Amino acid sequence: MPPFLDVLLALTVVALAALALVDRQLVRACSWFVAFALGVALTWLSQGFLWLALLEVVFGAALTGSFLFYSLGVRPGAVEPRGRLSRWRDPLPLTWRRGVLRLLPAVAVVIMLVMALADFGQVPGPQRLGGLGLIFLGLWAFALHRHLLRRLLAFNVIGTGIFLILMALVRDTTPAAGHGLVITGLVVALLGTALGSLLIRRLNGLDASRGSSVTLAEQGSG
Amino acid sequence: MIERLGLLIPASSESGDLGAVLSLLAAPLVMGVLASLWRPQHSWPVALLSLLPIATLALLAHQVLAADGQAWLIELGALTLHWRANGLTLLLLLLTQVVSLASAAYAPAYLRTEIGSHGGQVWLWPLQGLLLSSLSLIWLAGDLLSLYVGLELMGLAAVGLMLLPGRVDALAAGMRYLLLALVGSLAFLLGVSLLLGAWARLDLAGLAQVAEPGIVLWVSVALLSAGLLLKAAAFPLHAWLAPVHGSAWTPVSALHAALVVKGSFFIALQLWLVLVPDAQVAAWLVGAMGGTAVVWGGLLAWRSAKLKEVVAWSTVSQIGYLLLGFSLLIGTSPSVTAVAWEATWLQLAAHSLAKAGMFLATGNLIFSTGESHVKGLAGASRRMPLSLLSFGIAAISLIGLPPSAGFTAKWLLLHASLEAGYWLWMVALALGTLLSGAYIFRVFRYSFVEDAEPLDYRRVPWSMELFALLLALSSLLLGLVAEWPLSLLRPAGGGP
Repeated sequence: MPPFLDVLLALTVVALAALALVDRQLVRACSWFVAFALGVALTWLSQGFLWLALLEVVFGAALTGSFLFYSLGVRPGAVEPRGRLSRWRDPLPLTWRRGVLRLLPAVAVVIMLVMALADFGQVPGPQRLGGLGLIFLGLWAFALHRHLLRRLLAFNVIGTGIFLILMALVRDTTPAAGHGLVITGLVVALLGTALGSLLIRRLNGLDASRGSSVTLAEQGSG
Repeated sequence: MIERLGLLIPASSESGDLGAVLSLLAAPLVMGVLASLWRPQHSWPVALLSLLPIATLALLAHQVLAADGQAWLIELGALTLHWRANGLTLLLLLLTQVVSLASAAYAPAYLRTEIGSHGGQVWLWPLQGLLLSSLSLIWLAGDLLSLYVGLELMGLAAVGLMLLPGRVDALAAGMRYLLLALVGSLAFLLGVSLLLGAWARLDLAGLAQVAEPGIVLWVSVALLSAGLLLKAAAFPLHAWLAPVHGSAWTPVSALHAALVVKGSFFIALQLWLVLVPDAQVAAWLVGAMGGTAVVWGGLLAWRSAKLKEVVAWSTVSQIGYLLLGFSLLIGTSPSVTAVAWEATWLQLAAHSLAKAGMFLATGNLIFSTGESHVKGLAGASRRMPLSLLSFGIAAISLIGLPPSAGFTAKWLLLHASLEAGYWLWMVALALGTLLSGAYIFRVFRYSFVEDAEPLDYRRVPWSMELFALLLALSSLLLGLVAEWPLSLLRPAGGGP
């Protein structure tokens, strides 16, 4: 029986991720994401990975969070988002067929992952199940959400799920290699989010100066 | 197969050996940062300074060839990284250096005349340096952590380079490319995590020994391949390639098509050879994807309206030839693998040089006519014989006409398919050759239209003409001296 606190922590993390991915208001979704990152840091701390907890707070919560808010145009003084972010969506509209086509690989990945994890034989702990839950949530959101910022959030959530599974698998055997992979992954996630946020901001600026998102959508799909 | 990849070379204990490798990895990065401080206005300083990394490569080649391959262990605390170099590594490193040297030397004139002062010019140099360093790391790496780092740095640098034009279409295409690259890297990381969790090691040579067939191995290889083939624009996952190339700067497109997609392909093939060397059916499926890519890419290149799209779709088609290598190298008899091994790497080198040359020549044509459509080339033959000549020479290698390296590679592929009894592949090769002939001659047909209205042509700076021609010529000449790269590829003992 895993300790009660670990289960509670894993559930909290998954719940926070779900909130970040489904909240319709983007500023609130990003706030949920920061809370989620702090929850992940707590998880690392509870497992004794002090360095990962520290890096998660700095990279995952503080820096990623500030880039997300930057892309929304939120600054410490003014909370109201500026620009017309809500208009910038994936240039291709999401139809039922496209949605199913995108969900299929996601479902396939989850099934394969469950099979592989079941093959490991040990009793899965809360971290592994929590990680699986995060990957599932993230893949679902990545496949179906059209807004770029939400997809960035989904990407971060999937990444965190993979880190949790990875560290749960290698905790007793090769934690050093696991650390190396997770730290690289954290840096990559931060850089990817930063690039994405700068892009969203830039696209918004161009969109606003053109005054029409229709031309944008046409060019994007052309 | 694993000994041909150089993974079984014992690591040398002398710490001084690392100097050449580290300088090879650091030189492009340092030069890129320096070049962003003093932005080069002419091609010759770039060409001169690019000799520096080539010199470090020569130093490394001297060491490696003397010892018939070399391996290094890098201890970082409790972590151990495995790097190695053999003939294949040297060939890939040289290819990387040559293509990026030509593209960097092409860039100053292109930026000065075509781009002007807008766009993120300053970022071109450090990003290109980072791309070169990360590619070198990918060729050298012998463990999954180094490969992961190299793959990620390469992907992010490539996305950054694609975004540089700063126009809406470039940003929209770059955003999709970023999302795809991130998804690909997540799949890769998940695969690596499963491998590490199951066998508690990351070095490829060790994994080759301990990995046992089972669900975990299959799932992780499937995840790794899905991520890598997505990044390599392999057939069903190729849709992002054409829009991304259409909006990027010409030297960046050349670098991307010639090297970045090859980096992912190389990792994928290496992992298959190490982890699932007997998976004949799965490899046959990848080969079938490749055969479809050859035909489908050729068809779409033939139908494309824009010049750059023709070249981009031809990349999809040529990557298909490389994918055929999977099926010929994995689970086949030794005589087939011996031929297919040479064919695959020669095709990679030939395509890199020819495609980079073709992109640069295409850039010149677009620059000069101001037209991005194939039809806009009408009458170009009278004004731009040199650009068209470069385009044509690169095309000889892409189509696979003798005496180019592309011909030798396809001949070897045909030979291997015949010996393995894969008749379908021979059909795909024949169709691919016909289709590539068709899309190349479509471009020429328009450019030789004589009664076209005269457009206002711009004179192309000499350095842009020169480096396009040099790259195209090198893909042709590689065919004449093909024995030299092939001798580098042969296993120890047969080396020069």
